[in-house]
Amino acid sequence: MSAGALGDQPLAHRAPAGARGRPRWPSVVTVSAIALYVLGTYGLAHGTLYIQGLVLVAAVFAVLAVSLDLVAGVLGLYSLGHAGLFALGAYATTLLYTNHGWNLFLLLPVCIVGVGLVGLVLGALSLRVSGLYFAITTFVFTLLLTAFASDLSWTGGYGGLVGPIFPHFSSGLNWLGASLIWCCMAVLLVAILISLALRRSPLYPVLLAIRDAEPFAAAAGARTARVKICMFGLSAAMAGAAGWVFSFQGIVSPGQFNGPVAVNILVMVILGGINTTLGPVIGAAFISIFPVEVAINPFWQEVLFGGLFIAVIVAYPAGFVGFLTMLARRARERWRPAASVAQDRPAPVSETAERRPAPIEIASVQAAARAGAEHPEAVPLAVAPRPPASTGASTPAVECRGISFAYTRGTPVLSDIDFVVRRGTIHGLIGPNGSGKSTLVDLIAGRLQPLSGTISLDGRRLERDGAPARARHGFMRTFQAAVLVRELSASENVSVGYYTRIPRLAMRAAAWPILPGARREAGALGEHSAAAMRFVGAGRWADARVANVPHGVEQLTQLAAACVAGPKAVILDEPLAGLSPTEVEHMASILSELKSAGVSVILIEHQPRFVFALCDEVTVLDAGEVVVSGPAADVRANDRVREVYLGQ
Amino acid sequence: MLQVLLSGLAIGAIYGLVGMGFAIGFYVTRVINFAEGQLLMVAVMVAAAIARAGVSPVIGIAGGIAAASLAGIVTYLVAIRPVLVFNRFSFAWLVSTLGVGLILENLAAIIWGSTSTSFPTLLNGTSVHIGNATLSLQELVTIGVALAMATAFELIRKRTLLGKVGMAVALDPEMASAVGVNTTVVAVAAFALAGLFAGVAGVLIGPITYSNPYLGETYGIAGFVALMIGGTERPVAAMVGGLILGILGQAANTVINTQASDWFPFVVVVVILLLLPEGLFSIRGTALRGLLRGVRRPSESAS
Repeated sequence: MSAGALGDQPLAHRAPAGARGRPRWPSVVTVSAIALYVLGTYGLAHGTLYIQGLVLVAAVFAVLAVSLDLVAGVLGLYSLGHAGLFALGAYATTLLYTNHGWNLFLLLPVCIVGVGLVGLVLGALSLRVSGLYFAITTFVFTLLLTAFASDLSWTGGYGGLVGPIFPHFSSGLNWLGASLIWCCMAVLLVAILISLALRRSPLYPVLLAIRDAEPFAAAAGARTARVKICMFGLSAAMAGAAGWVFSFQGIVSPGQFNGPVAVNILVMVILGGINTTLGPVIGAAFISIFPVEVAINPFWQEVLFGGLFIAVIVAYPAGFVGFLTMLARRARERWRPAASVAQDRPAPVSETAERRPAPIEIASVQAAARAGAEHPEAVPLAVAPRPPASTGASTPAVECRGISFAYTRGTPVLSDIDFVVRRGTIHGLIGPNGSGKSTLVDLIAGRLQPLSGTISLDGRRLERDGAPARARHGFMRTFQAAVLVRELSASENVSVGYYTRIPRLAMRAAAWPILPGARREAGALGEHSAAAMRFVGAGRWADARVANVPHGVEQLTQLAAACVAGPKAVILDEPLAGLSPTEVEHMASILSELKSAGVSVILIEHQPRFVFALCDEVTVLDAGEVVVSGPAADVRANDRVREVYLGQ
Repeated sequence: MLQVLLSGLAIGAIYGLVGMGFAIGFYVTRVINFAEGQLLMVAVMVAAAIARAGVSPVIGIAGGIAAASLAGIVTYLVAIRPVLVFNRFSFAWLVSTLGVGLILENLAAIIWGSTSTSFPTLLNGTSVHIGNATLSLQELVTIGVALAMATAFELIRKRTLLGKVGMAVALDPEMASAVGVNTTVVAVAAFALAGLFAGVAGVLIGPITYSNPYLGETYGIAGFVALMIGGTERPVAAMVGGLILGILGQAANTVINTQASDWFPFVVVVVILLLLPEGLFSIRGTALRGLLRGVRRPSESAS
């Protein structure tokens, strides 16, 4: 089958849609926003000392809140250690300047790198636990630091130290106004831009997948623990920079970094709007300015403050930004009632076109992936025909030899499992409940590691690799119960599967929009994802939020995510569970397409009818052992299989 | 030595009661009520106010405990339930419970003034000699009451239907409501109990600290640290955590210097969390032993 002959339009000629059409250089909106920001800073730098004081505090806390949101909002790591990291930056600047005479501007990179490294260590230690325990471990870090700062003599005890004075502009630049305001606002701008860049980059769906669906992210090739620790390090570095700026604002004392402050930073993030770019800034401004501006009886003011906390969070759990979004939506509905058609409904596409997946697409997806892997910049222009599948049909792709495994010592779950999956075939894995199928899948996919035995893909030994490394070698999988990021669209979820094909994505994400070729890569990624969604026949759901799609589409979405990077082998863990009869038929046709594209498929399934009809070879497991493995017809004829599995 | 141990137990019992208050609320709703310390303060302030009005101190103490319990219920209904209804897994309750804490603290300051006032004492200054240590009767009663309440709670949790219903809601609220448990009622009961524990802690510590609207912050943090030491899987672990915290603080003050109780307990907490990241009495603790015996676990970080 020559893929090109079917004449599907080449991928690159499709018009980029919506958000992908952004120009490479910062758009008019970005430029004018930054110009406004600079103008505003100019104004503030000439403001009264009272206003400057307010702005300085608000800006420092905004940097902290933005940095905290990068771990709390994006990764779900509710850190209470940021006050401690903040303190490290401030104390380091003050002490190194006052006692050792270090250059103030040299101290900024010192703070960023130093506190970033402390953050890496703190993250590595705390990330052994998640949820509340993560918050507790990082909270103890803050408590310990402030307790030491209060008790030690060289940190000035409870009274603290007097911070360095930020140098004024030289006489030529005097017209700019207060230099500290410029410095503070510049740090805040960089923090906001980093947060914005991360959210625009293709890493963002991967990060959300690590937060909400960690096994999925790991199976897609993301080294989740490492990504989390690095993000925590980045966030800590930003907190260190905030500490550097803060040291210029007068006294540096333990009371400014204690437990309540740690909690307050998180309050700013949540109250402003968690997992948004501007929410933390709004929250920080509100919490640092409100108590100063509302000058009533201090007790009533605090009562009002507390009441506002409750009112905002109870009425708008998404915080101020949630409130603003609601206002914006209402305004839009008022102005353009017709335009507010729910976006989450699939685009109207004719049923017939939808039912049959275009055979071309897996080939094009794979060609694109291959092109993407070899020349990251190159957008695939033409569809390269695959080498004929027949040449490799009999060579083994996945080999499992002598695999044994036990969860607890003494009760083996699998013993001495041997089977071979040939290239470009569908290999069924069946067995009664409890026979060890899912454990075997986890072993093959790398979630678990065998006690003994070898697993290889195309002759390369993989049994000691983790799930992400296996994904890099072209081994993808789906899960029995789909785990996806519910707040992202289906095609964004699919793009997570492409993670391994974007070189050094995690390193580049923080500066994504300004990198050369980034837009082209993002555009190609969007097209691959959309193509993969069309390949599984769910193209019209590509832009729907996963929270709003039916169960069958979730299954198809994770299948698309497994296929988008052009895998050598895919493991499908009960892909038919809960599908309707038409959806089952549809899935069968997708599997045939995968097979003819040369992908080796391992299929775990319960329905014998489907397994024997579709699979070339079948392995039957029972009580952790292989009953028989071989061509489907032979297995079906096997007496023991008929007895234990088919019930005949 | 015995003196350190007994004094530590007395103050640790207070931390433990507040810690259990945190833990009971958390156990059922997965929410840390950051106003827990302020519930202790409410009990102290109300008890002192009633006693000042000339009523018997016993009624004052009962009223204080009842007020704390009621404030616990109100906190749940106003600040926690609406947030959980929206999204059971969000952390938004952090903001709303802190809001409740702010309101309680400042309303108390508005109503009763922000300075310390006297607190009714039932057991004036009687001291008890145990070995070569001296303990006030108040301290002895504190230890006894705290241990009795922790034991009673654990018995109720394990042996009665009510306790089992609570455990069911703790493990899986959706499943529990599917089998007919009114999860709201269970949660209200849990927060009433959480308020009760904080309230009892308040009336026990009141004679030593006097009544002051800012008591909540000090004892709230101490109770939270007690919870950290113990871990959150069983509320009674927070009592043990509190006792450990109390003894460590006293020991540090005696052996190192008078300010060492500020930081020494945190060093111990760090060590505990490094060894057992989920607290001293966590299920993971047993899993850790399992690990040492050579069990394989999913390793996503292995690569």
